Amino acid sequence: MRSLTITVVVALLGTQQAAAQRPDSLRADSIARARADSIRIVRELEAMTARPAQQPRNPRLLPDISAVGDLIGDLSPKGSTQEDGSRFGVRELELALQAAVDPYFRGDLFLGFSDAEGVHIEQAFLTATALPWRLEARLGRFLAPVGKQNTTHRHDLHTVEHSYVVQRFLGEEGLKGTGVYLARVFSPLGFYQELILTAVDRIGEAPEDLAAVEPANENLSGLGYSARLRNYWDLSEAANFELSASAMTGVREQPLTQGVDLDDQLVNAALARQTTVGLDATFRWRPLEQGLYRSFILQGEFMRQLNRDPENFPPPLGLPDYAGPRRDFSGAYVFARYQVSRRTFIGGRYDWVQDPEAEGVSLTAGSGVLTFFPSEFSKLIASVERRSLKGFGGTTRLLLQASFAIGPHKPHPF
Amino acid sequence: MSRNFLLTLSLAVAALAVRPAEAQLRVVTSTPDLADIARQVGGTRVVARSIGQGYQDPHFIEAKPSFVLDLAKADVWAFVGLDLEIGWMPLLLDGARNPKIRPGGAGYVDVSKAIPVIDIPTGNVDRSQGDVHALGNPHYWLDPANGRRIAWLLRDKFTQLDPAGASTYTDNAKAFEARLGAAEQAWAADLAKIKAKPVVAWHTSWRYFAVYTGMNIVGFMEPKPGVPPSPSHLAGLIQTMKRTGAKVIVMEPFYDRKTADFVASKTGAKVLVLPPSVGGRKGLDDYVSLMKYDITQLAAAVQ
Repeated sequence: MRSLTITVVVALLGTQQAAAQRPDSLRADSIARARADSIRIVRELEAMTARPAQQPRNPRLLPDISAVGDLIGDLSPKGSTQEDGSRFGVRELELALQAAVDPYFRGDLFLGFSDAEGVHIEQAFLTATALPWRLEARLGRFLAPVGKQNTTHRHDLHTVEHSYVVQRFLGEEGLKGTGVYLARVFSPLGFYQELILTAVDRIGEAPEDLAAVEPANENLSGLGYSARLRNYWDLSEAANFELSASAMTGVREQPLTQGVDLDDQLVNAALARQTTVGLDATFRWRPLEQGLYRSFILQGEFMRQLNRDPENFPPPLGLPDYAGPRRDFSGAYVFARYQVSRRTFIGGRYDWVQDPEAEGVSLTAGSGVLTFFPSEFSKLIASVERRSLKGFGGTTRLLLQASFAIGPHKPHPF
Repeated sequence: MSRNFLLTLSLAVAALAVRPAEAQLRVVTSTPDLADIARQVGGTRVVARSIGQGYQDPHFIEAKPSFVLDLAKADVWAFVGLDLEIGWMPLLLDGARNPKIRPGGAGYVDVSKAIPVIDIPTGNVDRSQGDVHALGNPHYWLDPANGRRIAWLLRDKFTQLDPAGASTYTDNAKAFEARLGAAEQAWAADLAKIKAKPVVAWHTSWRYFAVYTGMNIVGFMEPKPGVPPSPSHLAGLIQTMKRTGAKVIVMEPFYDRKTADFVASKTGAKVLVLPPSVGGRKGLDDYVSLMKYDITQLAAAVQ
């Protein structure tokens, strides 16, 4: 046993001595090979650790589900100014379901729930995501791309309510349309431009209490059509400017002085063309380094609503006359907001509109807005507004809003 | 006449001869760190630019339409992932209408897929925990080991999209790795000074940096990720710093320095503003310079 041990030790020493006598080049080759092997092993280990057996994030292929709550308080000194007279109310809950449909389309569904309207489809559209030539196409119901503010969800506005020009010309909640949407991005002049065209079933919702001889969409010329051209410039790293123009046209039911019975059908409206044109500008400033704490936005929109008399009016004697708008109306707003701290913003808006609901009498309003964001997912707003209808005095409104979002993180609106 | 013609022809040939090689791939990245590594790996075969700047909070980049124009022409969109860009990336990708860089496209590169991610929450995750990243901490580029992984991932992607440049991309990735390795040897002494030293960080963005340097983060200025410091939290943090002997507050340039200065005044600590990304400070135009600057500044501060 002892002799065996001695033999092994001698053999090992001999081997070591032989290795020590190898030429330097051979040793260098050996080191290089060892290094290469070592790097290969490290790569393999890294590959293993870098790509652990990952579970799919969404094995059931469920859509993103999110919800937004929009709560309103009206503490106006002379009573609530809300349509339903409430002091506190849930203005709307919005449930969103969003997912890729297949490699070619994405689906977005927004359902609205409110006491006034019950359950309703806010938006529901299919977006083609694989079109050439920087085209985007949508089919379904969407926010009408008319003006700047109307393309923003009401709960995402910087103010509690839409501007008065949007409320009076496009609707209290803004204007939606159901149809086809086609947009193309281009930059032949070196800056961002986007042209958006839509064709929708009609402009605005069909009034429940007005009926014309034929539906507004009887002819293709009666559908709603819109175009919007966006132009965007970076003024500096921190500042940018957008100047856009919009136009929309279609026919709507407008009231007659009285209803008539035609073939057992009450007709109390005529179809009249209404066109809205507008110009909007937005200036934004947000320094990149201190962008969490400071920002400023200045925005303004001007719109003009052009109303045309329907055909065959004035009518022969004895038949009801046209009682819809026989003049054009204009309106505008200017809004500014400054960020004073990471979570606090102050802003103000001035509105002016020739109110179609008051035969064009000028409505003016000035409001101050204080906004506090506890986080990205909740928002609290307090707003004081003085609103006047020329010749009819003024009203002071004190509005509060709390909105919150639950579910997956959504992109920040720009 | 023929002389003029020959002169013109010669000038034209000369102009063509000196024309730089046409870039093969247009690369857009979410952060300047990814853009720099893409340039290092791609060399003259790629043109890379970043949406975000090094002194900007990458969580809150604005989805400006001008970025859409860059993305519309991109062959590769490389981003950090782990929901770091969730607040703005979807708007830009939708706006760009470029199938190559949409999810499922060959140019859509979620770099986090190559990274061993840390801080993956366990148990139930909800927003009461702050702006928590449910998939893990996304600030992984501040560990050079992950810098290498990013380089090799981009090498693979560039090679897939531009096979003719395969050897160039591999050589460049090796050269990048060698530069980083040499720099690591140079700053090894600084790492030894940093190891185990207690520090306070503003946000969890320094967790990978801590793993690499060995600095011991004993507290955060934010009570929860993305939540601004509250007075009660700061009071507790001051006690923690006194107890642990933390003498450095590490923060990014885009946070409110006044709050950090207040805590420093109560503890005798030093506020160290470190750029978290390439370009976060003038002169730090590449990844190795960034890492070197952050490590040497921290080593000096903890002494």
